[in-house]
Amino acid sequence: MKNKDDLISQDVFDHLVDLAAFKLADDEKDYLHEQMNHQLDAIRELEAIPLPEELPVTTHGVEYGKDGKPALRKDEWTACENTKEILNQAPDLEDNYIVVPDIPTTELE
Amino acid sequence: MSVEYEAVIGLETHIQLNTITKIFCSCKTDSWEDAPNTNICPVCTGLPGVLPVLNEKVVEKAVLLAAAMHADVQPLSFFDRKNYFYPDLPKGYQISQYDQSLAKGGYLDLPVPASADADGKGYIRKVRIHKLHIEEDAGKTKKEKNRRFVDFNRCGVPLVEMVTEPDLRSADEAGQYLIRLRQLLRWLGISEGDMEKGNLRCDANVSIREKGSSVLNTKTEIKNVNSIDAVKDAIRKEIERQIKEVEKGNTIKPWTLDWDDNAGVLRMMRSKETEADYRYFHEPDLLPLEVSEDWKKEILKDLPELPLERRARLMKEMQIPEYDADILTGDRDLADYFEEAVKLYKGDAKKISNWLMNDVLRMRNDLGISMAEMKLTPAYLASLVHLTDEGKINITTAKNLLSKIQESGKDPLTLVVELGLAVVSDDAAIRTVCEKIVAQNPNEVQSFKDGKESLIGWFVGQVMREMRGKADPKLTQKILKELLVK
Amino acid sequence: MMTDLTALSALELAELVRTRQVSAEEVLDANLAGIEKVDGRPGTLGADLSPEDANGVHAFITHTNDTARRQARDVDAKIAKGEDVGLLPGVPFTVKDIFCVRGTPSTAASRILANFVAPYTATPVARMNAAGGVMLGKVNLDEFTFGSSSESSAFQPSPRNPWDLSRVPGGSSGGNVAAVAAEEGALSLGTDTAGSIRQPAAFCGVVGMKPTYGRVSRYGLIAFGSSLDCPGPIARNVKDAALMLQVIAGADKADATTAVKPVPDYLQDIEKGVRGMRIGLSPDYFRITFPDPESGEYVEQPLPQEISDAVYKAAELYKAMGAEIIEDVPMPNTRFGIPVYFVISRVEAASNLHRFDGVKYGYRTKEAVRDLTEMYRRSRGEGFGLQPKLRILMGMYVSAAQYSEQYYQRALKVRTLIRRDFEQAFDPNGKYKLDALLTPTTPTPAFEMAAVYGDSVMMQYADQLTVPANHAGVPGISIPAGFSEGGLPIGIQLLGADFNEATLLRIARSYEMATEQEDWRKKKPAILEGK
Repeated sequence: MKNKDDLISQDVFDHLVDLAAFKLADDEKDYLHEQMNHQLDAIRELEAIPLPEELPVTTHGVEYGKDGKPALRKDEWTACENTKEILNQAPDLEDNYIVVPDIPTTELE
Repeated sequence: MSVEYEAVIGLETHIQLNTITKIFCSCKTDSWEDAPNTNICPVCTGLPGVLPVLNEKVVEKAVLLAAAMHADVQPLSFFDRKNYFYPDLPKGYQISQYDQSLAKGGYLDLPVPASADADGKGYIRKVRIHKLHIEEDAGKTKKEKNRRFVDFNRCGVPLVEMVTEPDLRSADEAGQYLIRLRQLLRWLGISEGDMEKGNLRCDANVSIREKGSSVLNTKTEIKNVNSIDAVKDAIRKEIERQIKEVEKGNTIKPWTLDWDDNAGVLRMMRSKETEADYRYFHEPDLLPLEVSEDWKKEILKDLPELPLERRARLMKEMQIPEYDADILTGDRDLADYFEEAVKLYKGDAKKISNWLMNDVLRMRNDLGISMAEMKLTPAYLASLVHLTDEGKINITTAKNLLSKIQESGKDPLTLVVELGLAVVSDDAAIRTVCEKIVAQNPNEVQSFKDGKESLIGWFVGQVMREMRGKADPKLTQKILKELLVK
Repeated sequence: MMTDLTALSALELAELVRTRQVSAEEVLDANLAGIEKVDGRPGTLGADLSPEDANGVHAFITHTNDTARRQARDVDAKIAKGEDVGLLPGVPFTVKDIFCVRGTPSTAASRILANFVAPYTATPVARMNAAGGVMLGKVNLDEFTFGSSSESSAFQPSPRNPWDLSRVPGGSSGGNVAAVAAEEGALSLGTDTAGSIRQPAAFCGVVGMKPTYGRVSRYGLIAFGSSLDCPGPIARNVKDAALMLQVIAGADKADATTAVKPVPDYLQDIEKGVRGMRIGLSPDYFRITFPDPESGEYVEQPLPQEISDAVYKAAELYKAMGAEIIEDVPMPNTRFGIPVYFVISRVEAASNLHRFDGVKYGYRTKEAVRDLTEMYRRSRGEGFGLQPKLRILMGMYVSAAQYSEQYYQRALKVRTLIRRDFEQAFDPNGKYKLDALLTPTTPTPAFEMAAVYGDSVMMQYADQLTVPANHAGVPGISIPAGFSEGGLPIGIQLLGADFNEATLLRIARSYEMATEQEDWRKKKPAILEGK
């Protein structure tokens, strides 16, 4: 049976929502919170796996080998010719600047 | 009895590397005076689907710096993502290095000159390096009314972040560290190191403690300081503030402070919360960075003797005073120039130093060029000093010749001949002029004969003027004395 | 022209176009007409569903008819001038709408990118175009590829299974496989992060390959799990998949994780058979393990008989063709594939989706906001659907400083164990020396629409047999292997060693050749009847 302490608490959930920068409706919150706890059950299986000491991590499965790794980039300049096309995707553009609302500052004193 | 305090200071520097292109894309790094959002591409603006490709020159320059700081370059290091939201960070994460970075350890033996030492003696401060890694720069934002204007030109400019241990003990030491760091960056040719332009940026962590104690007290972090003087001013102000607070019985809070250079005051930005959760993890879009022994060797082939080592060597091997050695190792071109000139001159190094420091440097600064661009080569300088040593030209002539050599690019001997500047030691020629001067100035001759022997200098001067300084002064004096006592 | 141009293979079409028996534009017209008949309206943001929608495949989000016509005419013009036209002249293909294509909406099936028009083109798409391929449009998927049914798309109606329109095509490359199965283009470019090419390929009776990680460039693929994502080919037969892989594979200067290994000729030896090859079977691929939704206890369940039988039958055929079948190959860490995936993919996804913040492109809230933070929260809250939100939050949780060691670092280590299973199986000096591991692709045939959608865990367990290859980076291919009793396609999967796509394609092609005359091969989706 599930232990209450094993679940993601409301506080932690709210903190994560904050970190993720989401404004959520209440029904969304309920669904997401429930599903997260559900997924956590599956993830918990990892904790039970015995891992040999010094087992290295794998960040990419495939072995590139000595010759398979691509070379680093040469320091050669190529100007992008359609910067305007990039900027035109911005929701708010002014004088070639991308414009956003101001950044809140919490000045004390 | 009042308590004596000492400051505990650590500096976090961000060094823009002067590669041609950005760290992960082929846009150029230098956007100085370019219109906003013009040096951008899909990669550095974080469009969906783009991937970073590491610039090899960034690694090479960072390895040079690491080696110069006596840090251990790691054969395998990782890039990590530092996740946070900010409008100048288009991907929503910064590609940086976290727990397995390019280099480990390192230090700088910082000479603190007498002028920066309260005891007036000067000493060496060992400043250990806590962290040295590669990362990408963010863009810039500016505030106008209630809106922020974002420019991505700076996004992806390569940075080395280098953080010292809290080993510095005064504002002056912090200033000296930055001076030496800037000198090193330029010496290695890896960064312009210009704080005003933001090539070199510095945050300072400051705390105080009772002198002799080894505790680390709560520190504040000073941001937005963009000159070495500002760093010193800001730290000094903050040390004073902290001492005042502590003496009032207050505790120091871990604030982040913003330096306002115009007003010369520190302002509190926000209370520093528990370290933001950046959720670092290895950047999956880049393979681990391998710096093989062979590659490292290849890179370090270009590692020159470092400025502080060279400074020490000039003082020890050439008996150059500390003051001279400091100036002569101010930049690598100058130090190379000096040593080359000394080598060719084969005489007293201090003499070359004097010429350089008194005359050549002034000329170079007036012209606004580098030593390497000087037409007055080390060989020409050596030969010029030789000519004066041999008495072929006198000092005044030699000094005048400097600019002529620089203008024409001709060697000193050729110019001396062409312009007829050689010292005249022909008895007859000098005698003719001396006779003329004596004849033209009967009053002075009489005074001399009456015992005013100091007038001999005046007579020599007249002859020199007549002969445009080329007369051999000793010979002139001898002939004049003969004529005057007749 | 009597031949049904939409039913032909890419190889056949390329040959016809190259030899000027048919023009690229004729091929295009035939395909556009076919799409018109079977597809129904494209997925649209915020659309209300109507009963009518149950009658179409709905593979598409965006039709690119104009650029397609330009590309087709260009190919025809080149051929007329005798110029080289590459490997795919006039071959119509579709692209999962997770790839950026310059000048076209590139939506990731999400509201947050609905208005995004990419200013650049993904490398695999550029290579398809350069080879003379003609892009018909962008096809639908689970939002940001997060799903196994394609139902989570913000663009509705979502794709349906051409073999049974009441069922899902699988996902996340659901639009791709539905299009290929419904003869809307001969080829399709998909992506596979946990099985997103192979699972839907199995559900829709087509061939889908996940190449080795690093074999095909990810540049321009809107990232989900960057260390797992693989672009790959989807086709109606193995040789077409080989042909397409030939075009898209190879190093790319814009993707620092592409391998610089040379790309072999995938078609050269493809019909040379399996004699002497060693093909393995593993008991660990004949069961799935999942947590019981009620108790949370783990339940181990054997696969349905008809699924296992399809695999055993294939093994028999291979044996008859001279391959050696190695039974009982241990792949003990297979069952950890899903939990490891729950961690790694979420961490990477949460970070990859950070950039969608309403600043530079895509959706920004229309509400008046106080400040930047509110703009972020509203834009992301309104722009993302539930599945991306869930993955982002989960990723935040497992990579948070205090949990990272417990989950993320641990998951990366278990990933090593999964990788070792494959290394041992394929080690040429090891005990098993396998050329390929033969497994089922999915635990079940295609499920009913809305059957598991919404249950994020059960949805994910559909990937249990495909996800280990993503962790290990090894290549895998799913090929059709008959039908279930209910008339739904069943797929079998071949997994191989790093960069051994040629071997997998050859083994897959052998199965095709051996079953060429079987009745099930002649079946076509009902929706194509009378087309």
